[in-house]
Order: sequence, then C-alpha cells, then structure tokens
Amino acid sequence: MRDVPSQGQAFVADARPGVPAIDIQGVGKTFATDPVGTAPVLGSIDLSIRDNEFVVLLGRSGCGKTTLLNIVAGLEAPTSGQVLVAGRPVTGPGGGKGMVFQQNALFPWLTARANVMFAAENRGLGRGEATLLASDLLRLVGLEGVDAKYPAELSGGMQQRVAIARALALDPAILLMDEPFGALDEITRNEMQDELLRVWQARQKTVLFVTHSIWEALMLADRVVVLASRPGRIVLEQEISALRPRSRSSLPLVALHEAIWEALRER
Amino acid sequence: MGRRLHHWLPLLVPTLVFVVLLGSWEWAVAQGWLRRLLFPPPTKLFASAVELARDGVPLGKTLLDHLLITIARIFGGFAAAVALAIPLGLVIGASPFLDRMMAPIVGFCRSVATLSLLPLALVWFGIGEASKIFLIGYGCFWVMLSNVIAAMRLVDPVLLRAARTMDTKPLRTFTHVVLPAALPRIAAGARIALGVGFMVIVGAEMIGTTMGLGALIMEARTFYRTDVTMVGMVTIGLLGLAISLSLSQLERRLMPWMPAHSGAGP
Repeated sequence: MRDVPSQGQAFVADARPGVPAIDIQGVGKTFATDPVGTAPVLGSIDLSIRDNEFVVLLGRSGCGKTTLLNIVAGLEAPTSGQVLVAGRPVTGPGGGKGMVFQQNALFPWLTARANVMFAAENRGLGRGEATLLASDLLRLVGLEGVDAKYPAELSGGMQQRVAIARALALDPAILLMDEPFGALDEITRNEMQDELLRVWQARQKTVLFVTHSIWEALMLADRVVVLASRPGRIVLEQEISALRPRSRSSLPLVALHEAIWEALRER
Repeated sequence: MGRRLHHWLPLLVPTLVFVVLLGSWEWAVAQGWLRRLLFPPPTKLFASAVELARDGVPLGKTLLDHLLITIARIFGGFAAAVALAIPLGLVIGASPFLDRMMAPIVGFCRSVATLSLLPLALVWFGIGEASKIFLIGYGCFWVMLSNVIAAMRLVDPVLLRAARTMDTKPLRTFTHVVLPAALPRIAAGARIALGVGFMVIVGAEMIGTTMGLGALIMEARTFYRTDVTMVGMVTIGLLGLAISLSLSQLERRLMPWMPAHSGAGP
C-alpha cells in the first residue's frame, strides 16, 4: 500500500539516507510546578522514526505523550536530551513540522479556504498560488464546496479535515497530530482514520500521531509506541505489518489489541 | 404558517405589550386614577413631542437641536476614549507584566462614579463643552480600556500555538491572529462603553448648559413640564436603540464569522 506514487517530493531531497526523519534522544521533561520528589513527566525517551513512517504514541491520559509531541514540535523545551529532525536539532516550532491539534485550532474569522491559504502564504506563496493550493488540498482531504464557509459552520470532522489541509499547505516533511480525532464521534472518527491514511499515502509524510485509542493506533500505525506514566517511558514498541485498509476483526490485530491492552494495564 | 409566526413573534409581542401598556395608561389618566400633571398620558406626550420638534422648548430650540448636541457630545467623548483606549489596551494586554501593574489603577479609576467628577470637571474645564466631553470620555475610557486588555489576555492560546507551528512572523501574528481574535471582545467593550456614555450624558448636561437632551429634561423640571421630561427620556431611549442597531450592523460587517447580535444589551 506504500507504493502509491508520491506527489510531495519536496522533502525527499531533504531526507538523507540513514538519517532518521525524527530522532528523539534521551528526552526528559520535568515541570517546574511538579512537587519535589515526583517522577518526571518524561523519564528518558529514545525513539527513532524513519522517513514516511507512521508512528502512533499510545497511552493513557497524563502519560506524557502530548508533552513528547510538543517537544518534537518545538512548542516545549525538553529538560534533558534533544530531538533531531532530519539530523538538525529542534529549536522551535515551524520549519517543516506541520501540526494538527485536538481542539479546533482553525482561525474562526477565516473561511476554510482562507485558513489553508494562511499557511500557504506563510511560506511565501502569492495569493493566486495559495488559492489554487488551498482548493487542491481541501479536495484532497475530501471537502467539496465548503471553501467559503467559516469553521463555525462546519461539523467537527470537517473542521479537522480543514486543519489537516492547513498543515499540509506548509508542505511539511513531518506531520504531528495530537489526538486530532479525539473530540469526534466514533463513526466520524473511523471515517477520518481512513481519510488520513488516504492522504498520507498520496502525500507521503512522516507522521507522529498521539492517541489514547488502541484501535485507532492499530488501524493507522506502522509502529505503535506504548507509553506509561510517571516517569513517562516506553513500555512496548510494536511494528504492525498488516496491509491497509485493515479490518478490526482481523485476528492478528485482535491479538495485538490484547497485547497492547496488557502492556497498558500493567502500569 | 408556523414559520411565519416564528418570524413575526419577536416583533409582534413587544409591540402588543407596548400598545396595551400605553392604552391602560391613557385610560387610567382619563379615569382620574393617575394625575394628569404627574403622569401626562401618551396622547399629551405625543402632542408635546410635536410641539418640541416644531417650536422648541424653551428658547425656541427644537428637539432636533437638543438631540444633535447630545449626539455630538456622546460621540466626541466616546470616540476620544476609544481612540485612546484601543492602542493603550493592546500594549498593556500584550504584556502580562504591564497588565498586572495596571490592574489596580484600571480597577480604581473604573470604579470612581463618573458623575462624582462633575464638580472637578467644572473647575478644570469650565462649564463649556470640554467638561462634558471629558466626563463622557472618562466614563467610556476606563470601561473600554479594561475590555481591550481582557480581549488581549483572553485570546485563545491554541490559536497562537497554531500560528507558531505555521512559522508565522511576529508582526503577521499580531495583525492577522491576535487582532481578529480580540476583535469580538473589543467590539463588546465599545458597546458597553457607549452605554456608559449614555448614562453619563444626561447627568453631565444637567449643569451649566441649556442645550442637549439632559438639559432639556432638567429645564422642564423648573417649568413643571413632566411631559417634556418624558419626551426627552423617550428620545434618549430611541437614540440608544438606533445606535445599538447600527452597531449590530457594523459588527456583522466587521465580523461575518460571529453569530448575529440581537441589538439588545451590551
């Protein structure tokens, strides 16, 4: 399924053979507000992610998975260790790292198209180019005829589609997703997972995706990384080789679900 | 049928209530339950309004003259206050440090009842226009300032994080993210400030002037013209309603993404 021809070639020139897309090296995080003696939010995390790999960080609330994602995004600084993206240390947000948030982080005063254009214009595209790109990307994420609508006029699922289109408009090499479907109903959520895989296969990005849903992880991931809390640490790494589209009733996946559930429950 | 009723009900009910109220008032005066001098009936008020509009009371100044002067004073003070409060509020609101430093000052000045400054304003600015515009400006300014600061402090941090992950330049973040995000609360602040202006104006016009709706109401007292006082009150009410409705229109144009405002309340 990964052999679909890629349209997003920009990052390929950037990728160097042998250099991981994302390299998390001994990343630890302690909050200044933590009482003395509490275990750190993140102990010392090592994780290396290949180009175009779809990695899902899975764990219960408070296990530090969102903190880790924010550190990779450059929105928070680690207390120890460092993150390399394409071999270069992360010093701040932006710079080829697209992000999709759990809450609707669209600009409510901009239409769907203008929201996507905002990102496109940030990387120097003119109005005309940005308009064309925005329309293309909105179509790619499965939205037709909503270009002129404001976010408040869209359903939760549609809003997250626009948010994905907006992140793609930056043409980022990596896409960071913080429980992007967490606020959606289950039916919409399943649809969005399929849509995301379709977009990912069309555009070929390295994806780091945070969720607390085991099934979401199983449906999406090349590799599931299970985190336990305080200190935040990796307790299980599971490659998933099953071909996509995957079925929830496939026996290997059901077995994996059981294994991940065990890993989560022990802590 | 149901849909049309739904459409007309919000207009029909207030009109009906209004008509019934005025009708019973008229009737109560005719029956002698209410004294004509203290509660001039609606028909008498209407006649007075016509008289005021045509001949003017007193000094041959018509209702329109009073109205225009009042409008000029309100907008003078309001515009000055807004023009000052918006840039100041943006600067203070952008910095948590400045915000903490200014909070007691804003809280204090905002709480001083504007009309209690009337004697001072008269001493400082004389009995001319300046003292009235100062009072209205003062009342509007602190309300506006505290609202602009709050608007800045309450910008959703998720939007700022989103802007950062998209490599947005600082100036563009301010003009294209912070400002539009703060705009709805700034507009609400302007609405509240204008309301304060209306509260202050009548008081401010009660001393040292014969012009303006406040002065008209005050002058009427000396002539036992309860009817003129009431016409003045109604005119102020209508003026406030008209401005509120135009503000709603303006807000709809400025902020097409926001749900429409009913025009009532701040």
